[in-house]
Amino acid sequence: MEYRLDRNVHSLLDPRTKLLLLFTSSVFVIGTAGEAWMTVFYWILVYLPVLLLFVEKEWKAGLVAIAIYIGSCYAQMALRHDLSALGSALALMLFIITKILPTVILARYIVKTTKVSEFLTAMNRMHITDKLTIPVSVIFRFFPTVVEESGAINDAMRMRGIEMGAQKATEAVEYRMVPLIASCSIIGEELSAAAMTRGLDVDKKRSCIWRLRFGIPDLIIIILCLACFVWWGIGRFFV
Amino acid sequence: MICFDDVSFRYAKGQESLKNINLKINDGDVVLVCGPSGCGKSTLVRCVNGLIPHFYEGDLTGSVSVDGIDISQTTLRKISRHVGTVFQNPRSQFFNVDTTSELAFGCENFGLEPDEIEQRINRTVNRHDLGPLMDRSIFKLSGGEKQKIACASVAVEPIDVIILDEPSANLDYKGICELQKMIEAWKEEHKTILIAEHRISYLFPYITGAILMNEGEIIKEYSAGEMTALSENDLHKLGLRAETMQDPTAVALDIHDGSENAEKLILSNMKFAYKGEKPVFDIPKMEIPAGEIVAIVGTNGAGKSTFLRCLCGMERSCKATLDVNGNVWKNKKRRQSIYMVMQDVNHQLFTDSVLEEVMISQEKEDKEEALRILEALDLKEYADKHPLALSGGQKQRVAIASAIASGRNIILFDEPTSGLDYYHMLQVSELLKQLQKAGRTVIIVTHDVELIKNACTCAIPFAS
Repeated sequence: MEYRLDRNVHSLLDPRTKLLLLFTSSVFVIGTAGEAWMTVFYWILVYLPVLLLFVEKEWKAGLVAIAIYIGSCYAQMALRHDLSALGSALALMLFIITKILPTVILARYIVKTTKVSEFLTAMNRMHITDKLTIPVSVIFRFFPTVVEESGAINDAMRMRGIEMGAQKATEAVEYRMVPLIASCSIIGEELSAAAMTRGLDVDKKRSCIWRLRFGIPDLIIIILCLACFVWWGIGRFFV
Repeated sequence: MICFDDVSFRYAKGQESLKNINLKINDGDVVLVCGPSGCGKSTLVRCVNGLIPHFYEGDLTGSVSVDGIDISQTTLRKISRHVGTVFQNPRSQFFNVDTTSELAFGCENFGLEPDEIEQRINRTVNRHDLGPLMDRSIFKLSGGEKQKIACASVAVEPIDVIILDEPSANLDYKGICELQKMIEAWKEEHKTILIAEHRISYLFPYITGAILMNEGEIIKEYSAGEMTALSENDLHKLGLRAETMQDPTAVALDIHDGSENAEKLILSNMKFAYKGEKPVFDIPKMEIPAGEIVAIVGTNGAGKSTFLRCLCGMERSCKATLDVNGNVWKNKKRRQSIYMVMQDVNHQLFTDSVLEEVMISQEKEDKEEALRILEALDLKEYADKHPLALSGGQKQRVAIASAIASGRNIILFDEPTSGLDYYHMLQVSELLKQLQKAGRTVIIVTHDVELIKNACTCAIPFAS
């Protein structure tokens, strides 16, 4: 069967929209700007990342995320009156989870659904310098690399019988980090060499085979993000 | 035309790596650069793709030119429009995460029109039957598939010089056959090809000449006829691998099998599948002779490494059991009793000194014993060094030292000789023989025909 390249990007959102959403989510979910005034928008931003996972047909990841979120919320409420050291430490941990989980899911969604080349082009169209764009684009590539490498290191530790808990905590961390950093830095260097032999350079005109365009979903998300900021502004300066 | 005019190079930290190189390579030539490890062959090809002096710093004298462009005076971006490179390590040569973007990457950087890039990709993909590999994550590909994508990315670009830097180091027999087809296609298109390589015989049908290097110098230039006429003995004398282009399964079956009377380890119910996929292998029963050096050979690269992972109890979903003298070992017991030396030893060295690395493997820390083991492996002088500061071969020996110190009787090796020259391959096979003499069972997954002939005492064919 003959192969035909399909140049249309099948991700729901444009990389620029995704970044705007990530920024908005950081401000209003992690940063809880506006607090009670923003309640409606807050809950939309909390559940939107899960909706995006469902659009990508990641049913299991989405449901697990909801379960963790709701579980942490209730557990935190149950622990509210527990003043013991362990109880409050646990409550604090759960509080942090409920704050950052939605944004972490969103970030994971972005890394998984954005092509590196698409990202480079989108940034370029916003006239952001390659000196910033290229290092950031490497994150897309490095995220799975780190997961893969630490999996291999973990296996080696299990095989040699050096596992978490068996040793002092500091040693367990050191044994994991030393080979991880060493192998990631080797990969990083070889990766830069390979990219440069293929003509990647800063602030030079490059083309892109992917057709980027804003669609209706982008419009909805952009309006939502702008509405967040406008409503927050109203609450802050006029009420 | 590639032209070296009295080129010498010294890396910023290190000894001289190239001495007075004079060389001319004509358009359309396919030239093999060979020689023992550290002879400077990788350094030589880096002078052509511009990584020297633009990426790896050092003192460069003399001049290198490609199609009349002076490499040291031209930016890497401009050089990349003439020269494309396929590297050794399939894990580190892709900038993109999806295969299709990777194919387009070079052309996009040149700023070619998207329509033209589309045509070029369609042509390359159809010519090399790469359709099934398109639109995939590179993290879901096997080593051989990754190397195919690396070659295809170079093939898409409108360039005339192609550099291959040990492209076969991580390939099995089938992968090498695919690589051969790619080289053949490039040769038909009249590209100039320069290949630095340890395993050389698979290239013999295509080369127009060969260069032998040692300690940074060109020792001899061969014509294609002279090179292919060298006997196995001649090649070994030059420190070169003489691995013939053969299916390892066929070679392995010729091994004189003295293992019939040996005690057997009986592996049962060896079955593994990735979630929602067809099983990678399904072996109801396999007998492994104890106390031998056993080669597991087969054409399916991905399946064999997974086999080793399952054998040493690392895959929870694999429910295999191993019967050792009537004791049945499940996953956990196997994980505690079998040692695996991984293909990438960087993943299994954790501590900050060689001595400590060996001592954490011991049941009870015993410094005297640890030093004795290091001495036997020529590592005593490195006892206080950081394991990651050693050379590749030394790291592998440290991993073997830990295996010995662990006292475990079954030791697995995943491709222990990939990317090694003749001398180092012999060194590894000596080590394997020592392990056998000490009464251990050694099981190796390998596609290295020379290692099988030199070290293995029996072989088990492995088919998926």
